[in-house]
Amino acid sequence: MIISLNWLKKYVDIDVATDELVALIGARLVEVEAAIDLAPKYKDATIVKVEEHHKIDGSDHLNLCQVDVGKKELVQVVCGANNVKTGMLAVWLPPKSVVPETYGTDDEFMLDSRKLMGQMSNGMLASMRELGLGDEHDGIVEIAPDFAKPGDSFAEKFGLNDTLLDIDPKSLTHRPDCFGVIGFAREVAGILGQQFDEPKILASKLKALNAGNLSVEICDTKLCPRYSAAVVDMKEMPKSSGFLTQDDVILCKAGMRPISHIVDVTNRLMLDTGQPLHAFDYDKFVKVGGVKNPKIIVRAAQPGEKLGLLDGKEIIMCEGDIVITSNNVPVALAGAMGGANTEIDKTTRRIIIESASFNLYNLRGTQFRHGIFSEAITRFTKGQPAGLTAPVLSEAVAMTGGRVLDVVDAYPKPVKIKPITVTVEQINAALGTNYIFDDMITTLENVGFKVNINNTAIPIIRKLNAIFDEEERKRGEIPHDHSIQSGVDTLTVVVPWWRTDIHIPEDIIEEVGRLNGYDNIPLKLPTRGYTMVEADELGDLKSKIRQILSSAGANEILTYSFVSERLLNQVGQDPKNSYKIINSISPELQYVRQQILPNLFEKAKENIKDGYEKFALFEMNQVFWKNAGLTNEKVPIQYDNLGVVIIDTKDRGNYYTAKNYVTQLAASLGVDVKFVPRKKSFEVETYFELKRAADLFIGDDYVGNVAEIKNSIADKFKLPHDTAAIEMGVDLILTAVKKSVSEEKFDKKSQFPEVNRDLTFQVKSSLEYAKLEDLIRENLGTQKLWFQINPVSIYQGDDKSTKNISFKLTFASYDKTLNGDEINQIISQITKRAQAQLKAVAV
Amino acid sequence: MDKTKKLLVMRTRELANPRDILKAPELKKLYADIVKQPAEKRGEFGRAVNDLKRALEAEIERLEAAQQDETIQPIDVTAPCGINEPLPEIMTVDHGSRHPLMTELERVVDIYQKMGFEAIESRQLDDDYNMFTSLNFPPDHPARDSYDSFRTEEGFIPPAHTSTMQNRILKAGRKDLETGKHIATVSYGRVFRNEDPDPTHEHTFYQCEGVFVSRDATLGQMMAVLREFFENYYGQKLNVKTQPAYFPFTEPSLEFLIEKPASLGGKGDGWLEMLGCGMIHPNVLKEADIDPTKYSGFAWGGGIERLVMLKYGIDDIRYFESGKLRFLKEFK
Repeated sequence: MIISLNWLKKYVDIDVATDELVALIGARLVEVEAAIDLAPKYKDATIVKVEEHHKIDGSDHLNLCQVDVGKKELVQVVCGANNVKTGMLAVWLPPKSVVPETYGTDDEFMLDSRKLMGQMSNGMLASMRELGLGDEHDGIVEIAPDFAKPGDSFAEKFGLNDTLLDIDPKSLTHRPDCFGVIGFAREVAGILGQQFDEPKILASKLKALNAGNLSVEICDTKLCPRYSAAVVDMKEMPKSSGFLTQDDVILCKAGMRPISHIVDVTNRLMLDTGQPLHAFDYDKFVKVGGVKNPKIIVRAAQPGEKLGLLDGKEIIMCEGDIVITSNNVPVALAGAMGGANTEIDKTTRRIIIESASFNLYNLRGTQFRHGIFSEAITRFTKGQPAGLTAPVLSEAVAMTGGRVLDVVDAYPKPVKIKPITVTVEQINAALGTNYIFDDMITTLENVGFKVNINNTAIPIIRKLNAIFDEEERKRGEIPHDHSIQSGVDTLTVVVPWWRTDIHIPEDIIEEVGRLNGYDNIPLKLPTRGYTMVEADELGDLKSKIRQILSSAGANEILTYSFVSERLLNQVGQDPKNSYKIINSISPELQYVRQQILPNLFEKAKENIKDGYEKFALFEMNQVFWKNAGLTNEKVPIQYDNLGVVIIDTKDRGNYYTAKNYVTQLAASLGVDVKFVPRKKSFEVETYFELKRAADLFIGDDYVGNVAEIKNSIADKFKLPHDTAAIEMGVDLILTAVKKSVSEEKFDKKSQFPEVNRDLTFQVKSSLEYAKLEDLIRENLGTQKLWFQINPVSIYQGDDKSTKNISFKLTFASYDKTLNGDEINQIISQITKRAQAQLKAVAV
Repeated sequence: MDKTKKLLVMRTRELANPRDILKAPELKKLYADIVKQPAEKRGEFGRAVNDLKRALEAEIERLEAAQQDETIQPIDVTAPCGINEPLPEIMTVDHGSRHPLMTELERVVDIYQKMGFEAIESRQLDDDYNMFTSLNFPPDHPARDSYDSFRTEEGFIPPAHTSTMQNRILKAGRKDLETGKHIATVSYGRVFRNEDPDPTHEHTFYQCEGVFVSRDATLGQMMAVLREFFENYYGQKLNVKTQPAYFPFTEPSLEFLIEKPASLGGKGDGWLEMLGCGMIHPNVLKEADIDPTKYSGFAWGGGIERLVMLKYGIDDIRYFESGKLRFLKEFK
């Protein structure tokens, strides 16, 4: 949204520099993206008179012109425009000036004196486009002969010594009043601490002139709270003079274009007040309706109804659209665009001007359904107040210059404004300020609020306040709130009708805080007691795991929570078990992922392609699947998972590498983990090779899996065969760790010498390693020794029915130095047991 | 057709080489029959034959995969290493890396925790009530549109902001308020918006959000808390300022800006928009059964990506979820 500073100044005295104003507006109303000073852009543009022109020999369109630039000597300019003629006033851009169209762009075009078809041309005569005021480039700009004289500054005559404020209105969506210069000016006044002088426009009354010809029927006041309309006899439409006017430039500065007298009047008023208007051709309107007396009916559109619009397109209306009809025949898509069937043209004599308010939600729908993003609908979708229609219509009627034939104002259920009661204490308590009664009242009254105080003592108190404050200020103290001490602390605030956003005391608090500047509020930290903050256990555990795994050479990654149906199918997960996104960006992101690993397979593939040969990727994130069901809150059960995939394209990272990561992780978390052969696949982990998969237990708690992925699946991701991966529940680990840590005991080391013994058993091939290790552990445990068991190797020779498992045992007694016999005794106990229970033969 | 399909699928399962089924005479005949169909039925028949062929191919693929996986030998999953294989080694620390977003998020949460805030991770799949309704977004309110949220078939929402935890935080803290304590909690985590990714936009990103409620919370306190945070985060004194904003769940609503810190090349001139904030709307408190006439609160929320991008001079937000080791290994 563009706001002209000159236009603002019509309504408010701006006594601060522009950059300060921009900073204040930014801090107290809305961000100003840029303040564009037009003066340098137009500083050289000069109004000139063409004294003489003739065609250049040999050229089909170039004219040699002698122009009066307000100096003694005429200047010679070559001009290619077909509308150049002797005696006209035009705009001349002299040599060494930059063409305004290119001003401030990356390639500014600087004019000079140069020969064209052998003739010297000094600068140029400019078109609208070259002046940066529009797209027209058919001819040069012409100025009315009595409006200026040669040598006048173009900028001065046309109000271009101006600064444009480029506003990003995204934070003003609840402030329809700020979408007009008047409303914006009111805010600026409030920000500058001035009483806003309400312009007459908003108070102008529609002359009640109901000739009884025109009637308005609103079918649903929710769709259209108010519809005001007037019939105006224009006798004859004022023809465009072809001259550029100041009014045209006003529209150009706001980024709009002059079109015709009536349209321009409605557009200027919209920019000024925020109220969009529309004009119909009266006679066409009557004809379309097929009745003698025109009847405007505003109603919900029937889905499927068709209407040809002004821009030549035909639309099919949908549920939610609002339609203006002439006796039930559609003539406009309300708030969006008029119909071609009632378009004003050269033959138009009488017009109907519409000034109405519509339901913003409906128009938002219309906007998106039909792709109409005009200045008008942008304003309607903020919810223009019903109070605005009549005064703006009255002004519009006056500005057309025609004779009013009929006026109708349908406003079946006028909005009732409820006063808001708020106390001084409430305001200060919410803001953390010490504003006094007076400051608050002035702040609010400056921008049109009426503040009623029923207590007659108030004026005296207010005066007293002022006196006290003055003295306190002199002494450098912060003024007290004397009014609270006087027991009068309630404001009854009457909200002006244009403030559709103010409903509750907090809204008043916002006004006081905002207009006085939030940045003037003293910053003071809240006090807190010395109670302990409860720990974020899951977060802390994740943080630890992150540390452990990255220290073990793994790389933490983040991947999307959404996956494709293709990926789910590739890994054998049922898409029906995934929550499906109905408005996904692409099929690649259509399903909520069930586990972390499938994403890691994809990323591993990409990184292998990038040339990485040995790495481990891990991610911790939430996963969901439908069959898991819902929580008590009726939201999907959430799983906090850890996924790890281990890649080694050369050496075949396999199950045991992954298992080693799990062991390391458990050890760093201070818990033991058990690996139990996995019996069957779970529905969301379909990609594990069951013959090489283990369930992980901490104590009795299941916490996840480590496994090789099926080779058939590895192939789909071009991963090495026997690639191994881990998926664990971080939430499950947390529960298990909390249980087992409480059982953890100090591992007291013996102070006596340690003994090292290598021990090898020959066992059946089918014997699980853990059975043997557990037996040794149990045995050393019962012998009350400090010990460590380190596996050395698992060897198999030609005989595939057996294997040799070797350990290095380190142990010590807690109360003596062990002698040879005692050591042999310990070892033989182990070997005997192993023989008896596992048929393991010590070798 | 259905019969033939069943028959062929059964036969596929019996074949030594399942792919041979594609040479079955029944299938050839079906293809030959397509042209013999009356014109109006030809399309439908052709599609059915193609569907059948696709079903067979899927079955072949499944069987081939099963055959492939059949050859795998079981291993002893309790062992420390494979038979005749060396004991596996863990990679060294220099290979490892931690994701910069997670590192930064930890740091942010850590500062808030030290300031006295509890922390909880935000849910990544939630409902309309927590995402919108409990936060004073009326149904069909246009403010909902600007969140561009995703939706599942069941109407669940991958949340577009960590405020989706706010109602839960308020409800959980209500008892504390009644015993004279305050609510001070941050929620952090992954959020989602329906936006096409480009160098400055991602549909998946991280936020950290704070909620504070007490008997006497003020806007001045809020700004003091936020300044305290950023001064800690950047390790220097900072000027701060605000801009009015509009959010349905706060009133008043503000954007919070800090002076560009020296560590980011600030020379006391530029400002950085860091987050949105405001006093919690009374309707939001009421929705959690907290009496807004007795208690007041403030809340704020901001993105993590921007902090990381500013810190390291990262120019494309899409790196974060790219999974590229080339990027990740930069962050030890």
